[in-house]
Amino acid sequence: MKNIIALCLLLGFVSSAWAGGTAYTIRPTELKAKPYTDAQTLTTLPPRTQVEELTRQGSWTQVKSTSFSGWVKMLSLQLESNVQNKRGDNGLRSLFNVASTGRSSSTVTTGIRGLSEEQLKNSKSDPQALQAAKRYAVSREVAQRYAAEGKLHAQSVDYLNGGQ
Amino acid sequence: MRTNQTIVMLCLLGAMLPAAAFDFGNVDWKKAAETVKKVQKANTDIDEPQEITLGEGIASNLLGAAPLLNNPAVQQYVNRVGRWLTLQTERPDLPWQFGVLDDNDVNAFAAPGGYVFITKGLLAQMNSEAELAGVLAHEISHVLRKHHLQAIKKGARTELLADLTNEALKNNGKDPRLTKLVSAGTEVYARGLDKNDEFEADRMGVVIAARAGYDPYGLPAVLQTLQSLNPSDSSVALMFKTHPALADRLSLLDQEMTDHFANQENQPDLGPRFFQALGLGKK
Repeated sequence: MKNIIALCLLLGFVSSAWAGGTAYTIRPTELKAKPYTDAQTLTTLPPRTQVEELTRQGSWTQVKSTSFSGWVKMLSLQLESNVQNKRGDNGLRSLFNVASTGRSSSTVTTGIRGLSEEQLKNSKSDPQALQAAKRYAVSREVAQRYAAEGKLHAQSVDYLNGGQ
Repeated sequence: MRTNQTIVMLCLLGAMLPAAAFDFGNVDWKKAAETVKKVQKANTDIDEPQEITLGEGIASNLLGAAPLLNNPAVQQYVNRVGRWLTLQTERPDLPWQFGVLDDNDVNAFAAPGGYVFITKGLLAQMNSEAELAGVLAHEISHVLRKHHLQAIKKGARTELLADLTNEALKNNGKDPRLTKLVSAGTEVYARGLDKNDEFEADRMGVVIAARAGYDPYGLPAVLQTLQSLNPSDSSVALMFKTHPALADRLSLLDQEMTDHFANQENQPDLGPRFFQALGLGKK
């Protein structure tokens, strides 16, 4: 059994690396036993029901609270704001040294470089940086190989809403 | 009429400057006016090589504002994912180039000709390769539909556009007219695109991600995460200012995605590969 788990980890079969958060329903929402439209409806959650997100599968989010658990349509949920949300606490922020600025957006940005409105308007061209960036461009073949490694299969899907 | 003749004559002067003859005795004014129109149209229609040159200038400006993240593995990863997405589109042969900017701001940018940048601040909010793919595909869609070119045309003075000749764009990037256009193009990021262009990029982005074999709900998942960020934090100020409300974007995607992705709903999101590629190992 241990070996099977180790193998699964090795092959990347971990079902989800997804970090959920605290969310609430934004409309009357059916709580389903399984992540399918025709699965059994356990109950209908009223708007503003608070839930804990567990995982996501396509358009479905697995949720729980003290009194229920099941699956709801992901887009019937909105994450609570201004709380420490697990979704933003996945380890990447510290890895990339992304500090929460704590600055209010009305603070005048004084630095020369940066991506604020003023800084973008006054940015100076850096063609050397662009040449450096070009070193990382990949060919069609490399991209196809990497997709195959991830078992991604190209699909034929039409654009939505009459797009081209 | 007199004024019209003067205008046409002035325009002709501009268009025919190299011509030796200046005999206006037998000018067919109607024909001349049509010629002027044609010349102007030709000058404001930007062909693909011009689009790429302009985009290169704009991309250089973006990199002047924020440097590239010094992490080759992450840059290669984002390029692999992005390039695969572009192969599912109607413009697979542009010189597509992706990059992660070393900046805490939460934002992403596309420049004409196939340049796509995301900040490390945005990357750090993501939880899977499907989410990354959704965001890149949104930016790719701006390039496909030439949204920035249209915004530049709308914002730039007409005479600047009339100056947009092959000559200006082929002069090794040194032409002052090109510099003006590039700076007009960079200002589009401070001003934002038309909100319908953003909705269109959302709509196309989820489809491109699905075509590439990803769970199509990556983009809405990221938008949902962004909705939980403190809107008064400076790191989201520009992104929030230049995009339609997240609730509106999510609500439109919700309406349009329902029933469209029945066969793609369970495609992989490659969460483990995402964290591994970014250097966090298996989560």
